[in-house]
Amino acid sequence: MISCLIVDDEPYAREELKDLLSKADDIEVTGECSNAIDALGFINKHKPQLVFLDIQMPRISGMEMIGMLDPETMPRIVFSTAYDEYAIKAFEHHAFDYLLKPIEEERLAKTLGRVRSDLRPQLMEEIIPQELQHLPCYLGNKLKVVPVHAVEYVFSDLSGIHVATAECYVHTHLTLKVLEQRTSLARCHRQYLVSPDAISEIALQETGAEVVTHSGTKIPVSRRYLKSLKQHFGYS
Amino acid sequence: MALILHLLQQMCVYLVIVYMVSKTPLFKIFTEDAPRLPHKVLIYLVFSGFCVIATTFGEQVDGAIANTRAMGAVLGGLLGGPVTGFLIGLTGGLHRYGFGGFTDLACAISTTSEGLLAGMTAFYLRTHNKRALLFRPMFVFGLTFVAEVVQMLIILIVARPFDQALALVEQIAPPMLLVNSLGAAFFMSIVRDQKTMFDKLSSAFSSQALKIAERCVGVLAKGLNEVSGSKVAQIVKDETNVGAVAITDRTKLLAFIGIGSDHHKPGTEISSRLTLDAIEQNKVMYADGVEEPYGCSLSPTCKLGSCLVIPLHSDTEVIGTIKLYEQKNKLFLNINRTLGEGIAKLLSNQILYGELEEKQSLLTRAELKLLQAQVNPHFLFNTLNTIAIITKRDAEKARELLLQLSKFLRINLKRTSGLVTLGEELDHVDAYLAIEKARFPDKLAVEVDVPTELLSLKIPAFTLQPLIENAIKHGISQSVEGGRVRISGALLDGQVELQVEDDAGLYIPPKNREGLGVTLVDKRLKKQWGKEFGLHIEWEEEAFTRVSIHLPAPVLEAAQ
Repeated sequence: MISCLIVDDEPYAREELKDLLSKADDIEVTGECSNAIDALGFINKHKPQLVFLDIQMPRISGMEMIGMLDPETMPRIVFSTAYDEYAIKAFEHHAFDYLLKPIEEERLAKTLGRVRSDLRPQLMEEIIPQELQHLPCYLGNKLKVVPVHAVEYVFSDLSGIHVATAECYVHTHLTLKVLEQRTSLARCHRQYLVSPDAISEIALQETGAEVVTHSGTKIPVSRRYLKSLKQHFGYS
Repeated sequence: MALILHLLQQMCVYLVIVYMVSKTPLFKIFTEDAPRLPHKVLIYLVFSGFCVIATTFGEQVDGAIANTRAMGAVLGGLLGGPVTGFLIGLTGGLHRYGFGGFTDLACAISTTSEGLLAGMTAFYLRTHNKRALLFRPMFVFGLTFVAEVVQMLIILIVARPFDQALALVEQIAPPMLLVNSLGAAFFMSIVRDQKTMFDKLSSAFSSQALKIAERCVGVLAKGLNEVSGSKVAQIVKDETNVGAVAITDRTKLLAFIGIGSDHHKPGTEISSRLTLDAIEQNKVMYADGVEEPYGCSLSPTCKLGSCLVIPLHSDTEVIGTIKLYEQKNKLFLNINRTLGEGIAKLLSNQILYGELEEKQSLLTRAELKLLQAQVNPHFLFNTLNTIAIITKRDAEKARELLLQLSKFLRINLKRTSGLVTLGEELDHVDAYLAIEKARFPDKLAVEVDVPTELLSLKIPAFTLQPLIENAIKHGISQSVEGGRVRISGALLDGQVELQVEDDAGLYIPPKNREGLGVTLVDKRLKKQWGKEFGLHIEWEEEAFTRVSIHLPAPVLEAAQ
């Protein structure tokens, strides 16, 4: 059985795809999401093998969402769109799977055939945005999209990944690894990323150092990352 | 007595010369309010010359010279100012000094001081806004009189022996005082008359030009053709009183008003060489009928005897000509020549303006077409997808959606650029919203609160629709939780306020300009009703985006 997630902001579209997929015996729809933010959480948690992903969705587009996925949990993606010339051109160019809505059954069967023969995720580096502009976060249960430039630092603990801005404190499904790769946040500790723009001072200590942000929070810097952090500011 | 007569005679010769000069354009310099440097030089030369001639042709009296030199110095100072006056006086004085005699030094000093005195007086009057006094003959008489009294005093003080000086002054004072003062006064009166005439002439000229300009406004906005041409020709003919006026385009006569209209028929090809040359060479052509023979190219019995042809431009291109004619026995007035050229410039500007206006309205229409053609393909294909899916589940509902879609597309394709009623615009919006609601059943709530009496209000087509589409596309559909769109209308202080508000609050103020849709809506509202009306946007992040439109409510008031 191939576990699969449907992501689309239109309920009828999700329902339709679910109906169509129910005719395939080896596909099991394990979840449905109406936006990319919920989908990120679902993918990180349930790790589906296959994701049907609509491109145009609120706040975070399908493309942006892929850029937020940890390569380790990256599922096989089948894009779906009703109309998007540029995306379709890119899919054709890179031989990615995509479905045009309304979905033709023959086309779906063909795509599923391709997926069945090789379920490995494709490399999508070339079509996804390299630099994330905003991060999908939760404040309690409420969704909140935080622009990257507002972030002071990010850290992980047992309960997950936390994002701190000057005003608020939220959590996110994005991993530190993805954040380090796709944003200007710099690693300063195994559990911490800091925005270089938010640093007001770096205090050297015996075992490493401590960064003080503009809003006055102290963040630990481990010896391992001190050098690269100092280099960032022009100290060798 | 003989001396008085002699000096008077001299003065009269000068005045005759001045009168003659006053008929030339050169004289205009003396009537200027604030002479510029080159003019001051000219004033210096003229009045120094006056002084020199006056001394040279003066009457020898007991080793001194009775003369009208003071006239030159005083007038020069009055017209040229302190520096010019001083220099004129100095020149006249030095020249006098060269003649010798026992009063040479006294005369040199006094002439210089007369020039300076007059110059200072002129300066004082100018800076104290009493310039008009300068041109008053009585004032000039008085001033020259005072200047001459001063001269006599200087002679008495400086010239030695005193007895001889006193005797001289007794003899020459009365004639010199009288003649110089009179001469200066007469001179100024000629200047004044000339000045008044110039002013009158130029104001008559300006008012004539302004009248033509005023009457021509808008006539040529739609371009140069037989109708607009004959209107303009009539106006020009009325205002200039020339024999006839014609307007042509590049190839044929468009209009002809006045003498000879019996054989100068609009619509005929241009036959006159003069006109063809004016068009080809882009030059004003003039045949005065005397030096440059003019003959009507159509009829040998034509009464017209002189002709001025001025090309009309649109940008750099000659698009036609305007022709002014005068009868054989009438002089072609110079003023009409200048005026004719001015009119041609004015008409060219109006044609250009008309074209610009036309282009702009074309542009707006093109933009509108673009906007309407922008049936968002996303919207269209997603709607088709939704309908395809619903067809399987609820055929009746699918049919309903198809009807809404066709209604929406039909209105969109109609592409009217005129006015529609608010009711019709809301129908368009309803169709759109019905479809969007079907696509996002749990996400989109719509509230319409427009009083029925506003439904007959006329607004430009596609005023609300793009705003609502924006509210959905960039607002609600971008909000993860969904939201509400509210369309409202109200009558406030004789103005209608229409609002489109969403509760997503995701509006991002554009960096340089609004999107095409919003800009165009605002532009069309302003074009329809003026600058004080139009569109403005308020928003609060994550709370609301509110687009308000203000329009006048005249149609509604008329209905009540």
